[in-house]
Amino acid sequence: MVSINYATREVTCKIVYYGPGLSGKTTNLIYVHEKVPSSTKGKLISLATEADRTLYFDFLPINIGQVNGFTAKFQLYTVPGQVYYNATRKLVLRGVDGLVFVADSQADKMDENIESLTNLKENLAEYGYDYKNFPIVIQYNKRDLPGVMSVEELEAKLNPEKWKSFEGEAVKGTGVFDTLKMIIKLVLAKAQTSNSNKSQKLTATAEASQPEVSTTPSEQKPAAPVTPPTIAVPEPAPAAIEPAPIAAKADQVTVDNPGLTRQEVYRPEIKQEPGLVDLPDERENVSENSTNEIKSTRPEVPVGEPVSASSRPFPGSSTAGISRRERRITVSDFQPTASAPESETHTEQIPDEDQEIKNIESNMPKPIMAPSTRVVTKKRGFFKRLFGIK
Amino acid sequence: MSDDNLIIYEEEIEKIDAVLGKMLKGAEAKCALMVDKDGHLITRQGFTHSLDTTALAALLAGSFASTKEIARLVGESEFSVLFHQGKKDHIHMSLVGDRSIMVVIFDDRTTIGMVRLYAKEAAAELGKVFASLADRPEEDNPGIDNEFASSAGDRLDDIFQD
Repeated sequence: MVSINYATREVTCKIVYYGPGLSGKTTNLIYVHEKVPSSTKGKLISLATEADRTLYFDFLPINIGQVNGFTAKFQLYTVPGQVYYNATRKLVLRGVDGLVFVADSQADKMDENIESLTNLKENLAEYGYDYKNFPIVIQYNKRDLPGVMSVEELEAKLNPEKWKSFEGEAVKGTGVFDTLKMIIKLVLAKAQTSNSNKSQKLTATAEASQPEVSTTPSEQKPAAPVTPPTIAVPEPAPAAIEPAPIAAKADQVTVDNPGLTRQEVYRPEIKQEPGLVDLPDERENVSENSTNEIKSTRPEVPVGEPVSASSRPFPGSSTAGISRRERRITVSDFQPTASAPESETHTEQIPDEDQEIKNIESNMPKPIMAPSTRVVTKKRGFFKRLFGIK
Repeated sequence: MSDDNLIIYEEEIEKIDAVLGKMLKGAEAKCALMVDKDGHLITRQGFTHSLDTTALAALLAGSFASTKEIARLVGESEFSVLFHQGKKDHIHMSLVGDRSIMVVIFDDRTTIGMVRLYAKEAAAELGKVFASLADRPEEDNPGIDNEFASSAGDRLDDIFQD
């Protein structure tokens, strides 16, 4: 199961090395760990017995870096090969995206190979995977040993499904990277095909009922929802497009809550509606041109009017016809505007600080008791100004 | 099941982070990780910079998976809470929904009772978030596009050299 995290922009795949005991699964991982650049690999973790036999699994995270704006990560696992560890072997297979079957080429190990392969098929079936359509690569390991079977014989016995296969000497590293590269390609190809099936379904439904989506500017969600990694292309370059309105909104909230400071008021708002938090990020991702266009896509609800919960398009809800990205922007923009009409006048005064102070002072009731927090929250350093402290 | 990719968007991560943050504050714990049962790290909160969270996620998920088998042997379907006690630091794991695990790491500045209390609350809230994530219509779940697969394939030759 490929994991795609849009917050950290990571795509993570799980690849498991399977095979009979002592066939060289852990050796494969050790070789990969030794040879790849240190920026690419994580720590190799081995849950092994004292005799260095894998007890539960070995784990090696590999990070191949930025691909189309997403960090591609692969987690390599091995299973314990010994027959009686089937329970743990099955656990490791959970959520697997691709398999490398490491077979022992020695003639007297053929039975173990077959037993392990049968066991693999059973375990995959238990998780609901169909091994015929699953990304699997076979590595015929230990080719350097005397008394190995020929590749043709091995193919005939172990590979009736015609999976891709490689000859290997895991100790020396022969074939290790070829196997790994192939399985990564297969895993990505699989994720891609399962996606294209979905996209066909998507376009079918889109043709049926999507006049609204056609009005959305393409910059908001480039190349349709089918191609997430390309979304990263609008780099966070135009970052500071609208920091001012955000600050203004913070003020708006504050003004309506006398007795609390800006910080105190603003934070709870975030907690209530986490959608607000992604305001800055949203703006980063939207290019300067499209900002105007986005605004133009939401004139139905006038700014400043509270949006009723039912009409508010919320991420995750199945509000038909509105693309995800568009929805998100709409939500976060509407959150804090419930109190807008009253507060807008205040925010406009912000630039002219001295003028504002004078206004505030002249508006104060006399005699001056404790200054009203309603007013004070507007300005930091009010007391300093009031008493002339520098 | 094989097509059942885990796709999480920013707004969902933000919701999860907000719940984890609130829980950490309440329970005064050090950090919290959200891990999926396959061993993928979903998100993290608190002081995690000194931790190898990728490995931690894989191991914690493995540990959780193995206790599930233990549970089955004693006639339970699954243990929903797991607690590891150390000399200084302790780990509290609880099941969220049916495919995620919330991990809280804490030390002696707080107590297991506090952590359990807040973790239970947070797990209930997170359960709703993950339920909405699972209910998301399929067309909202884009997978990997062609360009990504081919670009990644091109990089492999650079990285994996003998």
